Amino acid sequence: MRSIEYAFRQGGASLWRSRGSSAFAVLAIALALIVLGALLTVTWNAEQLLARWSSAAEFSVYLRDEATSDQRGAVETTIDQSGLATGREYVSKAEALTRFRREFAELAELTTGFDDNPFPASIEVRVRPGAEHESAEALVKRLLTMAGVADARYDRDWLTRVGSGLGTVRAAGLGLALLMAIAAAVTVATVVRLGLRARRDELEIMELVGAPIAFIRGPFVAEGFLQGGIGAFLAITALWIGFLVAMAWWGANLNSLFGGGLVQFLPIRLCLYLILGGMLVGSAGGLVAAREAA
Amino acid sequence: MIETHHLSKVYSRGLYALRDLTLTIEKAEFVFLTGPSGAGKSTFLRLLLLQERPSEGEVFVNGQNLATLNRREIQEYRRGIGFIFQDFKLIPSRTVLENISFVPEVLGVPAAQQRRRAFQVLKWVGLQHRMNAYPQDLSGGEQQRIAIARALVNDPVLVIADEPTGNLDPDLSLEVMNLLREINAGGTTVLVATHDRELIRLVGRRTITLDQGKIVEVA
Repeated sequence: MRSIEYAFRQGGASLWRSRGSSAFAVLAIALALIVLGALLTVTWNAEQLLARWSSAAEFSVYLRDEATSDQRGAVETTIDQSGLATGREYVSKAEALTRFRREFAELAELTTGFDDNPFPASIEVRVRPGAEHESAEALVKRLLTMAGVADARYDRDWLTRVGSGLGTVRAAGLGLALLMAIAAAVTVATVVRLGLRARRDELEIMELVGAPIAFIRGPFVAEGFLQGGIGAFLAITALWIGFLVAMAWWGANLNSLFGGGLVQFLPIRLCLYLILGGMLVGSAGGLVAAREAA
Repeated sequence: MIETHHLSKVYSRGLYALRDLTLTIEKAEFVFLTGPSGAGKSTFLRLLLLQERPSEGEVFVNGQNLATLNRREIQEYRRGIGFIFQDFKLIPSRTVLENISFVPEVLGVPAAQQRRRAFQVLKWVGLQHRMNAYPQDLSGGEQQRIAIARALVNDPVLVIADEPTGNLDPDLSLEVMNLLREINAGGTTVLVATHDRELIRLVGRRTITLDQGKIVEVA
């Protein structure tokens, strides 16, 4: 405990003494975390959107015009008994036509002049949130084999594609942030090493009096830890200000880009991870430098 | 207290800093180690402080073979040794009292005890009135007295001094030697490396003379 207290007292004093050069290390960590934090903000909001879309998944079962009410009943029973649906709605041919005319008013004229209503009756099924994608697909395949069913559509491939695209963006961003974190750790190590060289005599005395290794190396690790913590705090503050400015200027556009949902800042949990990450990067840099001390 | 058996230290290109050194220094003895520059005095002290390892032979201090000590045991061993350097090695950013209390501080001694012990040794060297001064505000003699106080703060069983009067005039040198004699009178073994023959004559203690890494005279 005494060694930790000593390490932070000396590390803090050293940070203050070399505040000019320490500012570079703090800035390097802050930049790495701003990149990572900005990326996390975008991907986190995109993930929320995907989750909303996934939980609102639906599929439609189109019925043949000649389907009997018994056949329709069998289809509905199969859907209800699957346990995968939270609700279903029967849309008659007439309702389908009315919907089309309402939703695509400019194309409404195309639907006139037919002898018969070309739109099929259908059953729209809302998939239970959290239901397995594979189970829903299996149900759709089963429905397709039933009498009276013309077609069934459950297209989630695009959601999967968006999800994997998001994963690629996140991986690339994490790679970039990792590179920047390594550069930040090297900057911290260089700055801490400068302080270490200025204190050569002090370290030599510490070694000669038999000071424990924690007392010798601890202050340098603590200095890196503090640089990382300050850098992370600055990064979160800059991200927060950037987020507020972006929302003030382009809030409506951003909200609509993210599917009409409210774009949000990183949750506290991710902010804490970022701060912890900054402290770890700083400590790693400090530890690399401290190995020179003893 | 100190025993060496056929101790040698070879640097690169086969250059011997010490060659086949066998000697004994008794507990509570005051011994001078002398010889010209490059005779091997500082190398011998560095081996005692475990800043370097011997190439051949063995060193025993207080019955411990230094070659067998692990990292933790080295720390423990060093806590029983006080050291004094020619260039004092005081920390310029710390006050006189802090320079002394720094030693017990890094050994984990509670704060109140650190300051009490530091003040005691500072009083003993007669510089308690300069406790809040910084090293650069002190004379050479005062700085060396602070270094001596720092060496004593842990109650060492052995004090090693490497040219402790190298930067001091004759009067101050004698003053420092008197302090070392007082330390020795309390039962602490004192080993002083110096090339100042006049000082050795004035103090008059056993003297081991080295030349080119070998003992050439014990008087």
